[in-house]
Amino acid sequence: MMLEVENLNVYYGAIHALKGISFHLEEGEIVALIGANGAGKSTSLNTISGLLRANPGKIVFEGEDISQTPPQDVVMKGIIQVPEGRKIFARMTVMENLEMGAYTQPDRVKFEENLEAVYFRFPRLKERQKQLGGTLSGGEQQMLAMARGLMGNPRLLLLDEPSMGLAPILVEQIFEIIQSINEQGTSILLVEQNAQMALSIADRGYVLETGKTVLEGSGQELLHNPLVEEAYLGG
Amino acid sequence: MRTTIKNGIRFGAIISVVIIFFHLTGFSVVAANMIGGLFGNVDKNTALAQLPTINLAIVISLIGLIAGGSASKNTKTDSWTNAIVSGTVAGAFSGLFVAVFVYLIGIANFLEVDLRSYLPEIGPDNIDYLLFGGKASANFLYLGLLTISGLAGAAFSKGIIRANWRKQVQADSVQSFNAFIQKPGIQKVFNNKIVVYAFLAAAAFLLYFLPTKWGPYWNFIMGTVGIYILLGLGLNIIVGLSGQLVLGYVAFFAIGAYTFGLLTAPEPHAIGMNFWLAIVFAILAAALTGVLLGLPILNLRGDYLAIVTLGFGEIIRILIKSDMLTDFTNGPSGLSDLVQPKWLGKTFNDVNYFHLTVIFVIIAIFIANRLQYSRTGRAWLAISADQTVARATGINTFKYNLLALALGAAFAGLGGALFASRNQFTGPEDHILMVSINVLCLVIVGGMGSLPGVVVGAFVLKGVPELLRDLENYRLLAFGALLVMMMVMRPEGLWPKGRPEMETLYYRKHPKDSPPDGEVQS
Repeated sequence: MMLEVENLNVYYGAIHALKGISFHLEEGEIVALIGANGAGKSTSLNTISGLLRANPGKIVFEGEDISQTPPQDVVMKGIIQVPEGRKIFARMTVMENLEMGAYTQPDRVKFEENLEAVYFRFPRLKERQKQLGGTLSGGEQQMLAMARGLMGNPRLLLLDEPSMGLAPILVEQIFEIIQSINEQGTSILLVEQNAQMALSIADRGYVLETGKTVLEGSGQELLHNPLVEEAYLGG
Repeated sequence: MRTTIKNGIRFGAIISVVIIFFHLTGFSVVAANMIGGLFGNVDKNTALAQLPTINLAIVISLIGLIAGGSASKNTKTDSWTNAIVSGTVAGAFSGLFVAVFVYLIGIANFLEVDLRSYLPEIGPDNIDYLLFGGKASANFLYLGLLTISGLAGAAFSKGIIRANWRKQVQADSVQSFNAFIQKPGIQKVFNNKIVVYAFLAAAAFLLYFLPTKWGPYWNFIMGTVGIYILLGLGLNIIVGLSGQLVLGYVAFFAIGAYTFGLLTAPEPHAIGMNFWLAIVFAILAAALTGVLLGLPILNLRGDYLAIVTLGFGEIIRILIKSDMLTDFTNGPSGLSDLVQPKWLGKTFNDVNYFHLTVIFVIIAIFIANRLQYSRTGRAWLAISADQTVARATGINTFKYNLLALALGAAFAGLGGALFASRNQFTGPEDHILMVSINVLCLVIVGGMGSLPGVVVGAFVLKGVPELLRDLENYRLLAFGALLVMMMVMRPEGLWPKGRPEMETLYYRKHPKDSPPDGEVQS
């Protein structure tokens, strides 16, 4: 098992945001966390990446408890988060953004390889490599955010709402890219409001509700689960 | 047309208020004196009664020119008539208002009402002068002067703004300048090491010989500018690069000065340490203070950090001054007779001090520059852009924030020690909040995050007030107005930070792909 999250609790001050969430991810899988606003999806990701502290809770990555590991060390272990809302460095060029993504990677040869791979995957970014990140379109910014994540050699990519605020055609494109990243061997933990899309590419999924896991199953199972259909897929 | 006239009246009203304010505060007379200084028809001993009235007329006309110019600039349509009408109306109206005003103070003077009990600058002599030597026709003079100068200002500014030749000349000159610079031959000259060294040698020569010529006063002023450059470079690391708003920067300055002072002053400890060693200790003590302050508070950002550090600055000053620590710090009386540096058995004089400051500034600029473009600088850039994303990319934000604080504090420690040693004294009143504010101002005025900006800012904030000495009591008023103008005209700072030119790994290896200078699209 690559990642195992057990009984994860997180507080924002007095607010109990995660009330004992548990899930796991096998190497090479795409796992989707779906749920409504405030269910605790992003909180889960932020806790895994170390931006938030579990209290209490266990996050085991490849046999090692990382629940108290600071974010920079989590990144070094190969877990890279692509934060929600296309958070890129708006005042840096595309190239500089990508270099920031490789901040923890001292290997220059690997950097070039990664850069080539990323440009192959996102040809638009290559065209715009000298442009400031803030001037890209929404879809391009999301691609840049993902590309920046890939520059850090992730073994596990944490994607937070990659479809947020994008046109349907772009959403499809983004999800195709996610699938292809996965096919090349990167495991993916995906948080999505767009349950339909997320479940259709996910190997397995978990449904979160007010800080708890309420359902789990394979992507297809959940997609056809009447409860899920009613609550998240619009009947 | 109605809006044009309205616009003119509005500007006229504003300008008349300005003129009346200048009259009431006595600034007009000072300005007339300065004009006299320029023309050489006035010297220091000229009494008010002998001050030529033509000088006042020039002052008034200059204000009128500005009035007309700004009124015409502000008209929405692009027609000459509108611009001229607007400017003339502005001039005429301000003239009208001012005429009424001088009429009133003329009457007051005639009735021998002493206005000085309310407005100390409006004595009978002043009024006589403002009435152009007590002429009854002064009202008409004002009206005429302002109307004509308003018209002239409008015509002048409209002419300049409308003229395409101006834009053309600008564009051409910029273009030909760029083309000139990019010529291979010229590039060769610029890249030629000998040329660069010759330039550096010339600069070094100037910096070496100027201080021996311009006397102790300017050495002192320029030394202060240098110390403020050091402080600015330090604060620039904290505020400009890592993006933490620290308002109590003076605390590190104080720690540097007092560490130096306590180690070298005969009172109260008589340690009598050597200058160079004490400087090192001052830097270390300040850096350590930075770390100690940073550890508990660096999770704060923005306003909260500003308030906490503001308090810290005051706490240090009050502690130094307190009865409790009087035995240790000499309390309010401060430390005197601090050691001065010696080199080859010779104690430093003002020229040597200036040179020492220059050397420290050069070292500091070198360090700050290297830092900015290092891996550390890049981490700061990411942190100041977005702390969360920076953490998600694997940057240890706490470590780098702390490092910024410690380094910035170290620069301040050096500045403080140098300041204390040069003055041979340091006391609690050297370390008031205004120092923090001044340093922050110079960083902002120069351009946040920009190294040349810090240098320019330090000259403007600490040098320009000296140039304005002629204005006497109005020095700070004029300086304040100047600062406001600068920030309106150049909100990014006088020498803003360019887009961070990071010579990226990729471009270094693939020079063909790299963007030519200034061609990053935005």
